Amino acid sequence: MNGQVSIQGRLMRSLTIVSLVGALLLLLFIGIEYRISFAELSDGAALQVVIHELTEHVVIPMILLAIPMAVAARWAIRRAVEPLELAAQKIDAARGEARGVRIDALSLPLEAQPFARAVNSLLERVDDAAALHEAFAADIAHELRTPLTLLSLELDRLDGAHAAQLRMDVAAMRRLIDQLMLLAQIDAEQAAHLPPTSVDLIEVAGDVLAQLAPAALAGGRMLELRGEGHSFILARREAVAAALRNLIENALRVTPLGIPVVVLADQPGQLAVRDGGAGLSSERLDILVQRLRRADYASTNGAGLGLAIVARIMAAHGGRLVTDPDKRELRLIFPNV
Amino acid sequence: MARLLVIEDNERLGALIAEGLAGRGYRSDVACCLADADAALAVASFDAIVLDLGLPDGDGLDWLRARQPAGEPPALILTARGGLEDRIKGLDAGADDYLVKPFSVEELAARLRALLRRPGRRAEPVLKVGPIRYDTASRSASVHDRSLDLARREADLLELLLRRAGQVVRRRTIEDALYRFDEAVTPNALEAIVSRLRRKLDDAGTVGQLHTVRGVGYLLRDVGTD
Repeated sequence: MNGQVSIQGRLMRSLTIVSLVGALLLLLFIGIEYRISFAELSDGAALQVVIHELTEHVVIPMILLAIPMAVAARWAIRRAVEPLELAAQKIDAARGEARGVRIDALSLPLEAQPFARAVNSLLERVDDAAALHEAFAADIAHELRTPLTLLSLELDRLDGAHAAQLRMDVAAMRRLIDQLMLLAQIDAEQAAHLPPTSVDLIEVAGDVLAQLAPAALAGGRMLELRGEGHSFILARREAVAAALRNLIENALRVTPLGIPVVVLADQPGQLAVRDGGAGLSSERLDILVQRLRRADYASTNGAGLGLAIVARIMAAHGGRLVTDPDKRELRLIFPNV
Repeated sequence: MARLLVIEDNERLGALIAEGLAGRGYRSDVACCLADADAALAVASFDAIVLDLGLPDGDGLDWLRARQPAGEPPALILTARGGLEDRIKGLDAGADDYLVKPFSVEELAARLRALLRRPGRRAEPVLKVGPIRYDTASRSASVHDRSLDLARREADLLELLLRRAGQVVRRRTIEDALYRFDEAVTPNALEAIVSRLRRKLDDAGTVGQLHTVRGVGYLLRDVGTD
């Protein structure tokens, strides 16, 4: 037998067979009890009586019994299966990198509980494996910092074009390490369910700009903050700052000299970064954001990870990252408090 | 020549830091652990401490917290802990600045310059950034040894920017420093002072050192002392 059979289908089939066998046995029993012979059945009037008797005492009771049984069985099965469907929906609803998704085994029928427990232990192993993978990435990133510092300081002792190029390579490695550690931390914080605090977006923006401005100015680039109004959201402050920092660093990279990168705190619960680049289409943003899910760290440098990290920070806050290519703007939209 | 205590357990790293800083006008003693550092601090006086956090005989943050007298000499944390909240934890423990590895000697030297310019017991009476000199006692400024004629608030602003050279000083911080709390500050008043100071500096021979970060604050570029 191929094809899938529902519990309901099987039960209906069993009930039908039981009913038919029962009816047959009953007919046989009645035949023997009343000594009905086949000879009598040939007599028209007698046949009428026999059929009448059989209908009244066998067929009607069987039908009266079978219908409520079928209805009750359907109802009982539906009730029993409902929690399984809810559990499946819950697992399906867990998007992306959500952690700690478990089925409530006690809400399921006893017979399904061993299966639910097995699913839960599988989910736990998946979570553990993901956490281990990230902790490993963070550990490696951390361990690389000291040798990279030695390399960077040795390079400081050298002169010439080669040393300058190597210094840029070290800076790129450092950025990648920072991004990997940031990523591990966002996930760890999300898993730890740290309580958010009240964060003033314009204050965070001012801080981040103040941090980035000296290096930007040294490279001949200008930063600007527009917007005066305070706008409070519930968030992890340092994560919001990291998201904005990533957007600004990206913007500085694509903006030609002489054009300022502008941070806009123009709407409640939103921050936008406007650059002088070519503008980023939604399709391209989607591709960049998907990078992490495909986990191809190797093919990207720290710069490439930036937008994917921003998107993940926004998702962790229940917000989103959107692009407006016409305004050359990337916008962080936090949910309303 | 400022004297530093570098507390770093990686011997090679400690030597490289000391060598790099020697080329930028700092004399460094390297301690390999907290016990060494305590011994050095007991017998000599230092202008600043450069501290690694993970040390063989204890955690640098705990050591910093327990230090007496607190905050003296100023300390700069040098660490591989680059987490989002780590910087805040370090500053809370009494560090004056926080630099995450890897770094370049140039970065470290710039941070130390800023650290030593902060007001405090050991602060030098004369602030120097590039060609600009400011005597905090007589409140007089000069550029390329030619004295500047500054109004009171221009001098206050210059001192503030010199002390934090290389960093953006936020508008609110400047307004709080320049005006008494009962004085109303119009949005344009500060900009007028800044532009007067910028003109005087540029007339005296600085080259675009005073920058505006619109909406955030002002920054005096740290071009090093010569």
